[in-house]
Amino acid sequence: MNTISLPRLFGRGSLAAIIALYTFYTLAPFVWLATMSVRTTGEISLDHYAWPKPFHWEQFRKAWIDSDFAIYFWNSATVVIGAVAVVTLIGAAAAHCLARFRFPGNRLIYGVLFSSIIFPPQITLISLYQILVDYNLCDNLFGLALVYISLQLPLTVYLLEGFFARIPQDLFDAAKIDGYGDLEIFWRIVLPVGMPAIATTVILNFIQLWNEFLFAVVLITDPSKRTLPIGIRAFMGDHFQDIGMIATGVMISVIPVIVIYMFFSEKLIRGMTSGAVK
Amino acid sequence: MRAHSVSTAAIFALAIFATADPAHCAEPQQITMWSNWPDEPAKKDWVSARVHDFESANSQCTVKLSFIPKADEYAQAKSAVRTGQAPDIFYMEPDQPEFLAGGYLEPLDSYLAPNSIEDWAKPAWTYNGKIYGLPVEAYTVELYYNKDLLKKVGVDVPPSYQLSQSGFTDLVKKGVAAGITPIAQGVGDRPFPGGFLLFESLLRKLGTDDYGKLLNGELSFQDSRVIEVMTWVKQLVDLGAYPKSFSTLKLGESHFYFYSTPGALTFPDPSWFTGRAFAPPESGGMPNGFSLGIMQYPAMDGGKCPNCKTLSIGGSFVMYSKGKNKECAGALLKSMATVENGTKWMEQVSLQTGLKSDPSKIKSVHAEYFRDLNARNTNVTYFFGTPLLYYRAKCAETYTQVMNNAFPAGLISVQEAADKMDAACHKS
Amino acid sequence: MMAIVAPEEPTTARSDGATSPTSFSDPRRASWPVIAVFVAPAIVVYFGLTAYPAFRTIFDSFFTIDGPGDTSFAGLQNYRDLWHDEIFRAAVRNTFIWSFVAPFLDVATGLLLALALYAGVPFARFFRVAWFTPVLLSYVVVAILWMWIYNYDWGFVNDALRTLGLGYLAQSWLGNPNTALAALIVTHAWKWAGFNMVVCLAAIHSLPSEVLEAGELDNCGWGAKLRYIIIPMLRPTLLNLYILAFIGKMKIFDLVWIMTQGGPLWSTETVSTYVYKRAFNWNTFDLGYPSAIAAVWFGVVCAAVMLLNRVLSSRERLEF
Repeated sequence: MNTISLPRLFGRGSLAAIIALYTFYTLAPFVWLATMSVRTTGEISLDHYAWPKPFHWEQFRKAWIDSDFAIYFWNSATVVIGAVAVVTLIGAAAAHCLARFRFPGNRLIYGVLFSSIIFPPQITLISLYQILVDYNLCDNLFGLALVYISLQLPLTVYLLEGFFARIPQDLFDAAKIDGYGDLEIFWRIVLPVGMPAIATTVILNFIQLWNEFLFAVVLITDPSKRTLPIGIRAFMGDHFQDIGMIATGVMISVIPVIVIYMFFSEKLIRGMTSGAVK
Repeated sequence: MRAHSVSTAAIFALAIFATADPAHCAEPQQITMWSNWPDEPAKKDWVSARVHDFESANSQCTVKLSFIPKADEYAQAKSAVRTGQAPDIFYMEPDQPEFLAGGYLEPLDSYLAPNSIEDWAKPAWTYNGKIYGLPVEAYTVELYYNKDLLKKVGVDVPPSYQLSQSGFTDLVKKGVAAGITPIAQGVGDRPFPGGFLLFESLLRKLGTDDYGKLLNGELSFQDSRVIEVMTWVKQLVDLGAYPKSFSTLKLGESHFYFYSTPGALTFPDPSWFTGRAFAPPESGGMPNGFSLGIMQYPAMDGGKCPNCKTLSIGGSFVMYSKGKNKECAGALLKSMATVENGTKWMEQVSLQTGLKSDPSKIKSVHAEYFRDLNARNTNVTYFFGTPLLYYRAKCAETYTQVMNNAFPAGLISVQEAADKMDAACHKS
Repeated sequence: MMAIVAPEEPTTARSDGATSPTSFSDPRRASWPVIAVFVAPAIVVYFGLTAYPAFRTIFDSFFTIDGPGDTSFAGLQNYRDLWHDEIFRAAVRNTFIWSFVAPFLDVATGLLLALALYAGVPFARFFRVAWFTPVLLSYVVVAILWMWIYNYDWGFVNDALRTLGLGYLAQSWLGNPNTALAALIVTHAWKWAGFNMVVCLAAIHSLPSEVLEAGELDNCGWGAKLRYIIIPMLRPTLLNLYILAFIGKMKIFDLVWIMTQGGPLWSTETVSTYVYKRAFNWNTFDLGYPSAIAAVWFGVVCAAVMLLNRVLSSRERLEF
């Protein structure tokens, strides 16, 4: 794979220095956050950068149980996993159709779906709320999931359509000759071949929805249905910023994202690197 | 196959939603109530206790109570009222007139017992002769100071507890010379604190009538008296009166800045100061034995009203005009508005209230603080309302960016600030 | 044409060569029912939850709505007011600066990081994960962390400057109108560099190795290799990344709202924060004006994207 050698412009040393610096720049805030998640706010206020001593692991318990993070976590998990699953399916289906089939209105539909990425969410917020109320879905996780699906659909279609369009037509020709139906082609060819792109959109959608805040605040008012970002906000109240607990809550919130990323990034890399070139 | 497992997961997930709780928009005999103060234990306890007492006394009404941070609560309320989904009772401050204008609030006169609200508190919520909100939280704008530090830098506080204009300038100079921040203040997460010193001084210079005109847009910021006061404040700013982190320091952090690290000489803050200060020190409260003092804002040279002071209403509860359970909601509000409860509020929260209360019955561990506070509030002429109670829309936004933030941060000149405020607020 | 071949291919053909009833002579044509099955769910979701609210909003922008049932036709008044609104102008200026300048930073960083990984630094896998971590954090977390980093008294930036003896450079980065926008841009770039890196990495992997090897054999210098081989071949990918970044920044809200709320003195006001303020903070229930802003902005972004596409050339797709 190594068809480019390291630049001779910099010595190995300075390149290493730059990479180390950049890694510090990227990771240090996160590591700092991790250390703060096991320190109390009092300790942090006294010395912001000290190493935890002792490790206040009970902050995690406090957040999980006392501050209802367990509930928020499962709410978030339900809504986000469901929404990502559905939007990936619907998006892939639409992307495949738009990429593969010629029919009048193809580019129009694509353009319309893509252009909705641009619309600022604050404005559709009220109208969406009204729609959910009309269908008795207000203050309901299902309603929130529907909104999330609609939020991520344009991006999903955009990314997947671009990739699917590059899949060589020969695959499909061969499949048609073999007598595969269109739906079968979708299941058996497009999805496996498109796995790198699908993995990317899953990761992206998951990250964006897991941390989504604006719609969750307005559409969910029942405390037992709150999602994780709202839960973390509770620590950022008017009264006092509980820095230690914020950090703990954030760590709890970040771990699933890292897990999903690690799981899907393997598929992504495998898909990318196993490709041979035509 | 991977594809099949994806679809199975999707179906499974959809099934979970379908069996999730259906929308909870209205249920007979249960009223919903949204309150603020999720992280202020004293106020939260007072509200919870009132609800609990009400439920015990009224078996036909139950209350679903939630505590939500103010910004989120406002965002939710603004969306909810327009779609008929607002809770029966929710928290509101008097600076949101659009709810009244939109007809979303129910007049409370018929529900409350007569004379359960202080007369001076009524104007905040009175509209067309009817009262639309229950003014639970009331406050005055005070100037707290650190007795020990003031002595240390050599500032004497006269028996009237009010410095002269030059006396205050002297305080600032001495603080800067000693390396102690003269005025702790932060506008990182609030649209109003930066304006306290300036506008309180304007009040004392102009007197209640003209100050009222200023806040109503009838007096220009180019008025010579206004310019005089602004120039004086600018002088203090240039001397280094405010912290360098002023623009990004949060309100809670500014408390900590004043009574803990690094410490400051004075701290302009409304009397809700106690909400944070009286919390346990580990949670960010005042350290034990802190030498807290309260002084009046400095008297202005040639000022019309050195005894003037701002009084205002903060957190209140309003009723949704389209709610379905008005009897229960009205009964709850009535049960909250009693002399006994008002007294409890003052005792437990250490803050004034717009409900009628009996000061003689207050038993509080902070008796000395209350003595000081009451002493500072005798023989004063009150002006009702802070600037943001009067300023709206673009004028409010300009106040927040200019008078609250840029001007005390030393980012713009007196003339620029006056021009911008006039452009946004002056009715000509 | 470059492509990726699937690891497995459909196997045996039917020996008798008979065509099944559903096959067409042109495999790119499908029957309408089939098309409908694929596209319908997306279209239903789109129309119900995106298009209808959006149209409703644009419709509302021609009215002034002050309460239930109290609607008066305002015609183009909202749009006229918008033209004269100086806060809107500041917001547009800031958003444009961000959207046109920052994507260069983002994409360039992503490309360089991807090249570093591809060229085989040791522990590449570790770096790949490490450099991607900021992408995983929510805007709330990133905002909080960087507010602490920029803190005047004890933030890392000022602390470092003071330790290096450059204390006079220390300032309130988010409180100074001259530095606030730049500070936000750095924070945002910090978060997204990893994403661009991953996409570029995937794209580089799919480049034909013969061309790169040829460049190696020819003893091309690094600069030349970059300019004449890598960038031209990656052009479609880079362009798509730029457009995605551009659109993202035209919409930016969460980060700005939590860190500066558009201040100080509107130096970080963006169109989205202004829309939010008008919709929720302006002491009015009138959604007409913010809807007008949204409608105008939508047009602007569409136009900008089309312009970018034309100027930066070939409309090829994203490649992995």
